[in-house]
Amino acid sequence: MLLTPNAMSRRMRFGLYTTTGLIALFLLLPIVFIVLLSFGSSQWLVFPPPGWTLKWYGQFFSNADWMDAAYASLKVAILTTIFAVALGLPTAFALVRGRFRGREMLYGLFTLPMIVPLVIIAVAVYALFLKLGYTGTMFSFVVSHVIVALPFTIISIINSLKLFDQSIEDAAVICGASRLQAIFKVTFPGIRPGMVAGGLFAFLVSWDEVVLSVMMASPTLQTLPVKMWTTLRQDLTPVIAVASTLLIGLSVLVMVIAAALRRRNEVSA
Amino acid sequence: MKMTAASRQPTPAASAPSAAGEAQGKAKVMKDSTSLAQRWRGASNLVPALLFLGLFFFAPLIGLLLRGVMEPVPGLGNYEQLFANSAYARVLFNTFSVAGLVTLFSLLLGFPLAWAITLVPRGWGRWLLNIVLLSMWTSLLARTYSWLVLLQASGVINKALMAMGIIDQPLEMVHNLTGVVIGMSYIMIPFIVLPLQATMQAIDPMVLQAGSICGASPWTNFFKVFLPLCRSGLFSGALMVFVMSLGYYVTPALLGGAQNMMLPEFIVQQVQSFLNWGLASAAAALLILITLVLFYFYLKLQPESPVGSSNAR
Repeated sequence: MLLTPNAMSRRMRFGLYTTTGLIALFLLLPIVFIVLLSFGSSQWLVFPPPGWTLKWYGQFFSNADWMDAAYASLKVAILTTIFAVALGLPTAFALVRGRFRGREMLYGLFTLPMIVPLVIIAVAVYALFLKLGYTGTMFSFVVSHVIVALPFTIISIINSLKLFDQSIEDAAVICGASRLQAIFKVTFPGIRPGMVAGGLFAFLVSWDEVVLSVMMASPTLQTLPVKMWTTLRQDLTPVIAVASTLLIGLSVLVMVIAAALRRRNEVSA
Repeated sequence: MKMTAASRQPTPAASAPSAAGEAQGKAKVMKDSTSLAQRWRGASNLVPALLFLGLFFFAPLIGLLLRGVMEPVPGLGNYEQLFANSAYARVLFNTFSVAGLVTLFSLLLGFPLAWAITLVPRGWGRWLLNIVLLSMWTSLLARTYSWLVLLQASGVINKALMAMGIIDQPLEMVHNLTGVVIGMSYIMIPFIVLPLQATMQAIDPMVLQAGSICGASPWTNFFKVFLPLCRSGLFSGALMVFVMSLGYYVTPALLGGAQNMMLPEFIVQQVQSFLNWGLASAAAALLILITLVLFYFYLKLQPESPVGSSNAR
């Protein structure tokens, strides 16, 4: 029997656990490394650093370019989240509750932006905005990010909506609520986990998006990953490590929030 | 709902007094109603997203694909060039070999991890899973930058290897194939571990016990019982990783060198540096075609679609 560790030979168990430990370290290595490096005092990214400093953080926060990029990133991510959820909600309702034919094909159509390579979406959308003269605008950033964030919100909301018993909504209608009231006051709270998860996914997708953003960016408007990308190609200054740490920090924060919300839902359910 | 549904769908059976009769009536309506409004009930909710995607995703995509056969002159010239020119053929070869290598290495690293997550006590398993998720959701650019610093000639890994006396001079691990494969395999591990772990979790341990009771050695049991049971997870994970690797841009662009350019980088280069939209679009069409064909097989491996035809409630 192989699926219980006790039944394995000692050597086999040792082998598996050592391998696992090493792979787990491999997964953590670049993340921990970059966070430590952002506090290291060496300009040349020597590791272990000769000393510890907050100098690079100072440089990051006092540099208008980096700050503008961080602010733009946040703005794009928030707008993307709002639009992705707003577009995803009705779509999920139609796909789950609709009785029309071709729902599976439509589902495939809506998840297509997840499958088509990002580079191709980026080039295609870039060509369109080039023609319309919209490149380098907030609009082009948000639109391109919503395209790739939408499948995530649709899938999350669909998952929640399938678990939600529609007879509860119907009960509200029977008790005198209008259908719209019932949806807003009964169904939306019921599928909140899916809406929140979808929103968080959309936020993370946008926050970390490089390929689309590099194509949309202009010298006057760029997001944090774009600023990192362009800086990276010139030199490996530790300020990039600071930006990386901030990107990682926000991602971790969003993950922790998602986990906390999930736990609260499990408890209340 | 029963009442409103009945008032919205005037059918002969809807006036039946009993709830059972009404339900029957509804089932009948669903089956043989032919009125257009009936058939598309609820579909209007699709309009905003369809409009959005149609305008900003499908139209530009089709526009891009058309350019491949329209520019600079109408015809299949771009496609001919793509296959005839040895430099371009090399890009195609690189794309597939890198994706293949990345799939192989992420399988080799992902399998033990998925297995261990299934085996160890729950608390430990959850921690391992959290590490996988953390790495998955950590900024792609940040991780790639980190590998760039780690792997460079004066980087930590080279220094450590030299200090241990394993090598005499720094290994070249960035701006070449090694760098791309290390960086991308690292990124793909979670996409192997998550489906594989779900498959392993679902395997009934009793089956393996039965194997060993019937006299299978641990090795036989592993290869003849355990691995075949993992097959669906292995295949879908590997296929997903292969497809994703074909379309990756950031990591190969930063960790790879000029001689191992892959299709996505090629497309961007054609657009940004040479303004050769025709060739870029032909390459894009090829990449989309390969991706969609492989993805079709991926779907075939999946047990069911999340909006399955039943939609029962």
